[in-house]
Amino acid sequence: MTFQTALSLALPFGLALAAIGSAFGLGKAVAAAMDAMGRQPEAAGKIQTGMIIGCALIEALTIYALVAFFILQGRIQ
Amino acid sequence: MIYNLPAVLYPMLATATEHAAGEGAAQPAGAPLLPNIITIVSSRMHGSPLGEFLHHFENVIYSLLVAIIISVIAWRASRNPKMIPGRLQNFFEMVVSGLDQFFTGILGEQARKYTPFLGTLFIYIWCLNLFGLIPGMMSPTGGPNGINTTIGLAVCVFFYVQYAGLKKLGVGGYFDHLMGSPRDVISWILVPLNLPIHIIGELAKPLSLSLRLFGNITGEDVLLAAFLGLGVAATAFMNSPIGIPLHLPFMFLALLTGTIQALVFTLLSSVYFSMMIAEHDEHH
Repeated sequence: MTFQTALSLALPFGLALAAIGSAFGLGKAVAAAMDAMGRQPEAAGKIQTGMIIGCALIEALTIYALVAFFILQGRIQ
Repeated sequence: MIYNLPAVLYPMLATATEHAAGEGAAQPAGAPLLPNIITIVSSRMHGSPLGEFLHHFENVIYSLLVAIIISVIAWRASRNPKMIPGRLQNFFEMVVSGLDQFFTGILGEQARKYTPFLGTLFIYIWCLNLFGLIPGMMSPTGGPNGINTTIGLAVCVFFYVQYAGLKKLGVGGYFDHLMGSPRDVISWILVPLNLPIHIIGELAKPLSLSLRLFGNITGEDVLLAAFLGLGVAATAFMNSPIGIPLHLPFMFLALLTGTIQALVFTLLSSVYFSMMIAEHDEHH
């Protein structure tokens, strides 16, 4: 197996794993935020701001995987 | 190239990827990207110094173009303010007061002096992100060299946050903050642990800010280009010059991501401000 083959197998899998992890994290965060908003609609604005910050921090990890994907994609040729 | 593109579009997409491929390993070489005006012009004058210059500085050129457009519109809106505002002035007053309320909600009243910076940052990044959706234009925050734009923006935020911290807390208070504000024996013992953690945390903030914006916008641009290529390839077998606009739903997704990423960038910047200048019992 050349390293190009290894990369073209591993890159989509790595990205998919990162996406799965951050999907679970985002699901938990958004579910909890929606729950809190349903209980306290008057605090919806503050909860939403916090939720967006948290979502951004979770999502950043997938984006790092995507950036690594873009960098390594150039080596498969 | 995996797509069987018609002769009209193929050279453009191919030059866009070739240009990206020729710039070293750190760029998305295999990723398809939509051609913009500068890519087409510089591929016409291939090899000439002006073409190379235009190609290397396309992010700078487009971000300056966005800055000029925003400045001109803002200047026109605020040139002669009236008591009963016209349409443009009314719109700008709405945007400015909305942004001001939003950021003072996070930072508190005392931080009103940072809202011009943060509001400008939001409007600018938002326009940069959405600029790539105009045909013939590109998002300076995306594409193979987009990381330079986003690092520039994130470094601005980093230095302004440090400056605001130094000004608000003083030099002693600033280092006290970096050491995790030790007040008793145990936290003084933990200072050798806390200080590197805080310094690395401060340095990681611009990195994560810039990579997040760059990755999101580049991913969105590559997605658009890939689906545009698929839509063109779908009708290529009958030599039709018109493809199916398969990328249309992703344009709406791009509108959404562009707005959310601009919001996230400024929201996180304002959170970094509030972490730096907030009272000590409040910070993380």
